[in-house]
Amino acid sequence: MAILGPILGRLLKAAITLLAIAILNFFLIHAAPGDPAAVIAGEAGAADEQMIADLRAQFGLDQPFYVQLARYVGNVVTLDLGYSFRQGAPVLDLILDRLPATLLLTLTAFGISLVGGIAMGVAASARVGKIGDSLLTGFALLFYATPLYWAALMAVLVFSVNLGWLPGFGYETVGANYTGLTRMWDILSHLVLPASTLGLFFMAVYMRMTRASMLEVGQQDFVKTARAKGLADPIIRRRHILRNALLPVVTLAGLQAGQLVGGAVLTETVFAWPGIGRLMFESLAARDYNTILGVFLVSAAMVIVFNIITDIVYRLIDPRIGHKA
Amino acid sequence: MKLLKLTTFLVASAFATQLAAQEAGGRLDVIVQPEPPGLMMGLTQNGPTQMVGGQIYEGLLRYDGDLNPQPGLAKSWEIAEDGMTYTFHLNENVKWHDGAPFTAADVVFSLGFLDGTHPRFRANYAHVDSVETPDDYTVIFHMKESYGPFINAFEVGSMPMLPKHIYEGTDYATNPANSTPIGTGPFKFDEWQKGSFIHLVKNDDYYVEGLPYLDEVFYRVIPDAASRAVAFETGEVDVVPGGAVENWDVPRLAAMDNVCTTTKGWEFFAPHAWMWLNNRQGPTADKRFRQALMYAMDREFMKDVVWNGYGTVPTGPVSSKTNFYSDDVTHYTHDPEKAKALLAEMGYDGTPIRLLPLPYGETWARWAEAVKQNLEEVGIKVDMESTDVAGWNEKTAQWDYDLAFTYLYQYGDPALGVSRTYTADQIVKGSPWNNVEGYENPELDKKWAAAAVSASNTERQDIYNEIQKEIVDDVPVAWMMELEFPTIYRCGVQDLISTGIGLNDGLRSAWIQK
Amino acid sequence: MSFWKRFSTNRGAVFGLILLFLVIAIALLAPFMFPRGPWAMVQRPFLAPFDAAGLYLGTDTLGRDVLSGLVYGARVSLLVGLISTVMALCIGVPLGALAGFYGGWVDECAMRFTEFFQTIPNFALAIVLVAILEPSLGSITLSIAIVSWPPVARLVRAEVMSVTKREYIDAARLAGLSNMKILIGQVLPNTVSPIIVMASLMVATAILLESSLSFLGLGDPNIMSWGYQVGAARTVIRTAWWLSFFPGLAIILTVLALNLIGEGLNDALNPHLSRKGRA
Repeated sequence: MAILGPILGRLLKAAITLLAIAILNFFLIHAAPGDPAAVIAGEAGAADEQMIADLRAQFGLDQPFYVQLARYVGNVVTLDLGYSFRQGAPVLDLILDRLPATLLLTLTAFGISLVGGIAMGVAASARVGKIGDSLLTGFALLFYATPLYWAALMAVLVFSVNLGWLPGFGYETVGANYTGLTRMWDILSHLVLPASTLGLFFMAVYMRMTRASMLEVGQQDFVKTARAKGLADPIIRRRHILRNALLPVVTLAGLQAGQLVGGAVLTETVFAWPGIGRLMFESLAARDYNTILGVFLVSAAMVIVFNIITDIVYRLIDPRIGHKA
Repeated sequence: MKLLKLTTFLVASAFATQLAAQEAGGRLDVIVQPEPPGLMMGLTQNGPTQMVGGQIYEGLLRYDGDLNPQPGLAKSWEIAEDGMTYTFHLNENVKWHDGAPFTAADVVFSLGFLDGTHPRFRANYAHVDSVETPDDYTVIFHMKESYGPFINAFEVGSMPMLPKHIYEGTDYATNPANSTPIGTGPFKFDEWQKGSFIHLVKNDDYYVEGLPYLDEVFYRVIPDAASRAVAFETGEVDVVPGGAVENWDVPRLAAMDNVCTTTKGWEFFAPHAWMWLNNRQGPTADKRFRQALMYAMDREFMKDVVWNGYGTVPTGPVSSKTNFYSDDVTHYTHDPEKAKALLAEMGYDGTPIRLLPLPYGETWARWAEAVKQNLEEVGIKVDMESTDVAGWNEKTAQWDYDLAFTYLYQYGDPALGVSRTYTADQIVKGSPWNNVEGYENPELDKKWAAAAVSASNTERQDIYNEIQKEIVDDVPVAWMMELEFPTIYRCGVQDLISTGIGLNDGLRSAWIQK
Repeated sequence: MSFWKRFSTNRGAVFGLILLFLVIAIALLAPFMFPRGPWAMVQRPFLAPFDAAGLYLGTDTLGRDVLSGLVYGARVSLLVGLISTVMALCIGVPLGALAGFYGGWVDECAMRFTEFFQTIPNFALAIVLVAILEPSLGSITLSIAIVSWPPVARLVRAEVMSVTKREYIDAARLAGLSNMKILIGQVLPNTVSPIIVMASLMVATAILLESSLSFLGLGDPNIMSWGYQVGAARTVIRTAWWLSFFPGLAIILTVLALNLIGEGLNDALNPHLSRKGRA
């Protein structure tokens, strides 16, 4: 119960933040050169004044700017993300269509990076100064320095094209009409490469943090006390050091959520993953205003959810701060 | 070419019987790039929409690789000798995908619909005085004046037939049927998983007996060019349409076992690439500067290296694949010395010029870089600008550029796809597809107009010859390339491309050899 | 002296420093090594490394020397990395310092503002900003700065808060120094080391960001950069691996060098802190 109160407060704050993001982005997007009518006319390979004027009127772009803004904000407040004239569907439908793919990708990558990173960090800290530590640290550094898209391209080349082990792109085998377990397995095999390339970068981040944090906590007095009491090393590491060392890692993970969701744009592009990151990129090029704004809102909301999750994890690990804001 | 006579083309099922070996069944996976915004061809006219929508919707006529009209929804047609009436006889057993019959009323409805939404149609339709439907299966167009190119305006992308019973009295743009399009075509819409694929299934009630052969078609959406190449390599897709992979990948994919390529299927469009040269201001307003540009560029090198040898260096505004082409014009070869001389003569002061590439991927970016390099070699300073499709549209439509890449379709006739770029009445701000460069030549304007409405093809040819000769010396725009887009496919896919618009309406006769 | 001693005991850091000096030297000497510039089409396209004399890394899709592009690309990567970091510091340090020093509503406002920016997925924001401003060296640098300052603000705020609690600050207050004088003269100098450490890592991240933007086609078309090289070559990665391999390697090595240096600086400047605080 102690967890609920602060979370309600956070939700309220989140709602205000989201509204501010909607307004800021509204200004940004409308500052971009060109508008959706011009893009559609441009793609048609032929256009005249009448067509562009018709489209603008249909999209409501012939209204004064403040009217458009007021309309949009009014819609957002009532949880209506508007209509995508380009795709001929409500924005919410478009996003909900693609949200599961993005959630699956980012959550898996988040899980892989956090679990893998912490495990590697703990392993490295246990062998500090030895060859194992150097290897793990070097490995992490390398992934930290590798551009995400580059790792993705290489992974497709090696595991999909050359070895043929895993599908290199897409969400599932198209037209196979798998159901139940077969389908799950199919999606899973498609998920491996994108989730691990996205996850590896962040794994490197969490690994280094865990290692440093483990070493630091290991030098604190209560650990020395425990050691003096004659407790076995693995027990001390698990019960005393790890729990405390994880706190900064979890905090960091929360802060990284925005980068994770942003990184999904690149990953989704290389792996043709039908998520909202790609939807955003494509809508941006098409100046599909409502869709970009919608994706921005939803992804910002995802960041907030990630933050809340890490917050809960933080509280679970460290009961001492359960009552602080 | 002779005078257009009273002609009747009998359909019979000539080409349904010509081959007996076709095998029915099978599934075809085709790449579509980028994902179309919608499939309703009356509302959206961009390339991907036409490629998928062209299997669902149909036009009155189809066109072969030499741009001769072929039967489509119309089984036969007559053109009066004076060019003032066009009579179409419709196939009588055509049904919409929901079972309703297709009749002359649908044709008339489509004309009204397209007049409101389809600018290219609107321009053609302006020459029509009235439309008459003596019975359910006859449509007669009465023209305001003889307009030779009209016979080229009935292809599915230019004039798709739309179902009256679904759209009449509704708001076209928001009609829910737009997301589940209903046409008369060989394939029916089944499912569209946005971001992944569009699934079409065989139309069992198709009016041509035995067609189509394929059971289903998947249009696959893969946003990254490299991934698209991989998809073809790993066998996930069978057909890579022109332009869907980068040119550098073409020879590699073509060299694979059991892979065929063809550059056919683009004759109707004859995509013609050029750079807009702003005729209004800056150095590009000087004819000598524009000629210098032409001499400075090594267009053959660009064709060989940037386009990997695909394409033809054009001689002028009309593509060699389009009717009424003439090569009796000044030829601009790569001659940097001549370019420098022209620049010196005009007293070019080294003012930098801006170059706006077309944001359509790596090939176009490399092309612009090669141009920049060539121009700098003769002393022209070039600032490359970068922007996305929306920005590019905005800048060209608002005339805010010095040099800007583009390419346009020619639709088989200079009056349909060429003159719109060079006549003064097409100088209207706001569209990237009209006379964007601001070229004004009243003498030529008269000739363009005369050529369009002349009832005699020899006379048309003569006028177009004169126009081409004169305009090439003015260099209103810098003609870069007659583009060729190789289609890459598994050799087992037969009769994939049978018309001048290729994949856009070709799948009805495609079959897979087992 | 003891700084250098501590720094040089970290072999990785020394290696990183040497690597970085090499990159800087190459960047500075570029016009002397390749006077024709990186765009000159010098040979047939798609020559493999060492295929032609003098073209050690081969040629690209237009027959341009890959090595020359790599050398000129070093300038862009370093420049974008450095300037965007300085710009991010210019936003993040004052904001964090004011928030940490004054606390209260100043802190509250500044942190809400920071959180706001951290809630927008940063790469997505960078893409939108570059698309709106149209890709150019300036817009790319600015966009990177705009998305990378929030961690600086958080770090500086935390450091300032802890320094402000120390006794000598109280002493300064008693001596009647103004708030601004205390903040600039007494507090900020004590936060310099963690800022330096973070800045070195930010340069690395900025280089990665720039290359990611270029990869998506949002680079400055007049300037040869590593990200551009990889992005332009990704479609030919199967036939001409060297086109994306070497620029990729250059990015990895430079980013690696900066990270190693960052760790070395951290060890040397904050011996008591060991390794942490990288957000």
